Amino acid sequence: MIRAILVLLLSGAAATAGAAPPVATSPGPVSVAVTVYRAPGRGADEAMNLRWLNGFALVTETRRISIPAGESDVRFEGVAGGILPESAIVSGFPKGVVEKNQDAWLLSPASLLDAALGRRVNLRRTSLSTGAVRRTEAVVRSGAGGAVVLETPDGIESLRCDGLPSTLVYDRVPAGLSAKPTLSVRVRSPRAVRAAVTLSYIASGFDWQADYVARLSPDGASMDLFAWLTLANGDETGFRQADTQAVAGRINRSAYSPQRPQAPPLVLRCWPSGTTTSDLVEQEFEKEEIVVTGSRMMMDLAMAPLPEPAPPPPPAPAMMAQQEDLGDLKLYRIPERVTVSARSQKQVALLSRQGVKVDTVYRLDAYSPNPQGLRVIRVLSTRNDSAAGLGLPLPAGRLVLFGTGSSRPLLLGRGSVDDKAVGEDLEILVGAANSVVAEAVRLVPGAGEGGEWELTVSNAQPAPVRFEALLAEGAMKLVSETALGRRHGRPLWAVTIPANGRATLRYRFAGF
Amino acid sequence: MRSLLLLSAGLALSAPAVGQPQPASPQPASPQPGNLAVTIYNQNLALVQDTRQLDLPAGRSRQEFPNVSGQISPETVTLSGQGIGIVEQNFDFDLLSPSKLMEKAVGEEITLLRTNPATGAETRERAKVLAVNGGVVLQIGNRIEVLRDDGLPVRAIFDRVPENLRARPTLSVTLESARAGARPVTLSYLTPGMSWKADYVTLFDEAAGRIDVQGWVTLTNTTGTTFDNADTLLVAGEIGGRNGYNPHDGGYRLPPPPGNRPGTETPGRETLGDFYLYPLRERTTIANQQTKQVSFLDVAGAAGRRAYVFRNSWLGTLDQASSADTVLQFSSSRDQGLGDALPAGTVRVYMKDKRGNAQFIGENQIGHTPMGSDIAITTGQAFDVKVRPVVEKRERMSSSRWRTTMRYTLTNARSQPATVDLIQSGLWGDVRIVEESRKSERRNADETMWRVTVPANGEATVTATFDTLY
Repeated sequence: MIRAILVLLLSGAAATAGAAPPVATSPGPVSVAVTVYRAPGRGADEAMNLRWLNGFALVTETRRISIPAGESDVRFEGVAGGILPESAIVSGFPKGVVEKNQDAWLLSPASLLDAALGRRVNLRRTSLSTGAVRRTEAVVRSGAGGAVVLETPDGIESLRCDGLPSTLVYDRVPAGLSAKPTLSVRVRSPRAVRAAVTLSYIASGFDWQADYVARLSPDGASMDLFAWLTLANGDETGFRQADTQAVAGRINRSAYSPQRPQAPPLVLRCWPSGTTTSDLVEQEFEKEEIVVTGSRMMMDLAMAPLPEPAPPPPPAPAMMAQQEDLGDLKLYRIPERVTVSARSQKQVALLSRQGVKVDTVYRLDAYSPNPQGLRVIRVLSTRNDSAAGLGLPLPAGRLVLFGTGSSRPLLLGRGSVDDKAVGEDLEILVGAANSVVAEAVRLVPGAGEGGEWELTVSNAQPAPVRFEALLAEGAMKLVSETALGRRHGRPLWAVTIPANGRATLRYRFAGF
Repeated sequence: MRSLLLLSAGLALSAPAVGQPQPASPQPASPQPGNLAVTIYNQNLALVQDTRQLDLPAGRSRQEFPNVSGQISPETVTLSGQGIGIVEQNFDFDLLSPSKLMEKAVGEEITLLRTNPATGAETRERAKVLAVNGGVVLQIGNRIEVLRDDGLPVRAIFDRVPENLRARPTLSVTLESARAGARPVTLSYLTPGMSWKADYVTLFDEAAGRIDVQGWVTLTNTTGTTFDNADTLLVAGEIGGRNGYNPHDGGYRLPPPPGNRPGTETPGRETLGDFYLYPLRERTTIANQQTKQVSFLDVAGAAGRRAYVFRNSWLGTLDQASSADTVLQFSSSRDQGLGDALPAGTVRVYMKDKRGNAQFIGENQIGHTPMGSDIAITTGQAFDVKVRPVVEKRERMSSSRWRTTMRYTLTNARSQPATVDLIQSGLWGDVRIVEESRKSERRNADETMWRVTVPANGEATVTATFDTLY
C-alpha cells in the first residue's frame, strides 16, 4: 500500500517534469561534404601537429528525418565532436526552426549522480565473504563533487567509506543526458512529413597543407614540381564517402572559447580516515579514490608524426584536386567522394608540373656592413607564370627538393612555400652553398664597423655561377668601380663568377 | 515493512524534487519554481524573477528556495509579495558531505555496523564520536578506537542530517506574514553564469553585391540550474559594475578597416535607456550546460560589397609581398541595409562555390552597432591581391629632419580589377608628404590613404616621400 503511494508520488513528479514534445532522432547523415581550412596562425614552414590540429572544417550534411505534426525536437546524432554549436545552420524544415540547442551535459558517472539528487536509487552491496548480493533502496541526499550522502532504511550513510563493495544502481538515464554533445532543434510542422534537412556547422580539430616535392633536372635548369594535398582529421567522427574540399588562403577567425562538454571525473570523498599508524602530519582525507573519467581520450599513439613527403609518384596521378576561386580564397575540390576517417591523415595529388624553368642564384644577405661569417645561400628562383611552366596558385606548405644523382635521387634541401598568387616570384631556398664562399676582410680600420672592406666570393664549381649580394644601406661608398643595382630599397651587387674563379668588391663605411 | 515505512518518511521529509509543500512538516516549506522570467545581459549576468504561489501561515515562517541558480549572488535577492515582511535571509553554502556529516557528529552517537570478512556476520554497536582530526576517534562503551584502524569494513550510520547542511547552496527566507493564505510571491536575484551574444550567418553574393543575413541570439547557461519554461528577455548593451566583464575593453586592437561609421537611426525595437531589448517570442527552457539559439533577424538582399585594405606600419618593408585584407562592407540602415540595431557578436561570412554549395570564407566580431551604421569587417586575406611596401631611401636632411621614400607595389592576380585602400600608418609628429605619385587622403594624424585600382592580372605602384622628425 505504502509502496503504491510512493510510486504514484514519484511518477506524478516525473510526469509534470516531462511535458516535452516528441523527439525525432537522426542517427547520421545521408551524404556529407567536408571543407577543410588551414590553421589561421600556422606558418608555411610549420608542420601540422596531429595531436593538436588548429585548423577547422565546414561540415555540410544532408539528413532525412521524419517529423510528426506539431512541435517536436529533432536530435542530430553523429556530428563532429569539435562542433561549434553557434555556427550551425539548419535548413529544410517546412516551417523553419523555433530554436537550436546544444546540450553539453554529458552522461557520465558524475552527472548520473548529480541528476539523482533527491531521488530514489538502489544501493547494491556484495558480501566479500559469501558473495551474497543485497539491494537496498536509498535516497541521494548529497552528491556534489563526489561527496555522497545516502539515506537508507538504516539511517544516514556515506557511499563506500565503509570498505564494503557497494554501488549505486539507477533506474534510467535522466532526460537531457547524452553520450556526446548533441545538437537539437525544435521545429513545428503543420503535418507529419519526411524532410530532407541540410545541417552545416564549423568544427575544430582539422587542418591541411600542401606538401611540395620538387625534383631538379641534372642540368639544374628546370624542375618537376608535384604537390600533395595533405589533410588531417583529428575529430573522433569520420566522414564516409564525403565530398571533400580544402580552402587555401588566410581567413580571419575570432578568438572564441566554446563551451566544452562537461564530463568531470567522479571522485568519491569520505571523511578523514587517518589511523593510528598513518602519518598524522600529512592529512590525507581521501583514502579511497575511485576515478572514473569521461573526458576525451588523447589521440591514438599509433598516429605517427607527419612523414616527409614521399618521392614523386609517376608523372600523371590518377586523381588530382581541382582548383576554383572562392571569393578571395582558393578552393581545392577532390573530384571523387572519399572517406575522411576519424583521427587520420589523407593525401591526394594537388598539382603537378613538369619542366618548370628555374635559375640557380647564390645569394648573400649582408644586412650589416660587416658580412663576416655570413653564409651564401643557394636559391632556386622562378616566376609563377605560364612562361616558366607554372602559372597557378600555390598554396602554402613545406617543400623537399631532390636532385638527380648518378644512380638515385638525392635530397638537396627542405624549405617552404608561402601562398603564392599567379605572377609572383617564387624562390626556393635550397640551403647553404658549399662551393660558393664569401669572405670579408677589413683593410683599413674605422670606427665601429666602419672602415674599408673587401668582399671576395669564390666559386669552386667548373661552371660560372650567378651571385647576388644585398648590401647594407647607409653611408656606404664604393671603392671598386662596379655599378651597383638596387633591390627592395637596398644596394645590390649582382655578378657572374667565372668557373673556378673569384670576384671582389671594395667599399668603405663611415660608420653609423 | 518497517524499513519501507522509514524510507517513505525519509522521502517525504527530504526530497525537495518530490515533496509538495508540507504545511504540517517541521521542515521549512520548499515551494516549486513557478513563473520564471529571465533577463540576460551580454556580460555574464542575468536577472531571474521567480513568481510562486506561496501558502503562508500568519506570523513568522521560513521558506526555502533550493532551485535557485547555483551561482546566485545572494546579496541581490529580494522577495516581494502582498502583506509580507522579511525578517532575515540566509544563504547556506555549507554543503553536505561525508566529512561534514562526521564533523557535525562530534560529541554525538552514531551506529557502527561491522561485517566479519570471513563469515559475513554483522554486529551492531553504538559509538560516540570524540574527534574528527585527520581520522575519526570513537568511544565505544569504555574503549577508545580509531574508525577502521584495522582496515576492516565498518559502516558508520548517522541518525540524522545536521541542520544547515544542504546538497546545494540554498536560499532561505524567514517571513513575517500579516495573514494566513496563498498569494503570489516574487523572488528576484542576479546570477552570473548566463550570457548571450549574437551570431550572424551572412551569405555573400559577390556578383550581385548582395548579402543575406540571419541573426541568431546565442545564450549559454552554466549556472548549474535549469530554468524551466522561462519568459526570456535579452538586453543588448554594456552594463557597468563589478560583474561587467567586457570583452572589448583593454588590450591593443588594430584599428578597424575604413568604412565604419556609427549610425543615427532608431530601430522599431523596445529600448530601455541605452539598451535594446530582444524578447524571445515564446517561453523556453534554458537547460543547464546548454547553448541555445533563437532567430532574431532575417534579411535577404541587403547591399554588400568587398573591399581590400592594406595597412603598412611606419618604415615597414617586406621581403615578400603580403596579402591585402579582404573586407566586407555593409550597412545596418533601413535603406539598403539590415534595418536593425545589431547586438555584439560574430559575423560569419559564406559564399557559394561553383557547385552552389555555401563555403565559409571568414568571420569577425562586431560590437553593439546602432541602426544606420556603415560596417566594414575583415574576413581574411586575399590570395591574389598583394602589396609589397619597400623603404626605398632614407635621407637625413638636418639634425632633426628625415626624408623617407616609400614604394608600394600592388599586384592583382584576379581576372577583375581590385581597388585597394592602401594605408600608411604611424605618421605621428609633424609629418609632411613632400611628393607622391598619386593624391593621398590624410584620414587622421596617424594615417594617410591611397585608393588604388589595380588592373586585372596587373600591378600598380605608389611612391611617396615623407618629411619627418625621425
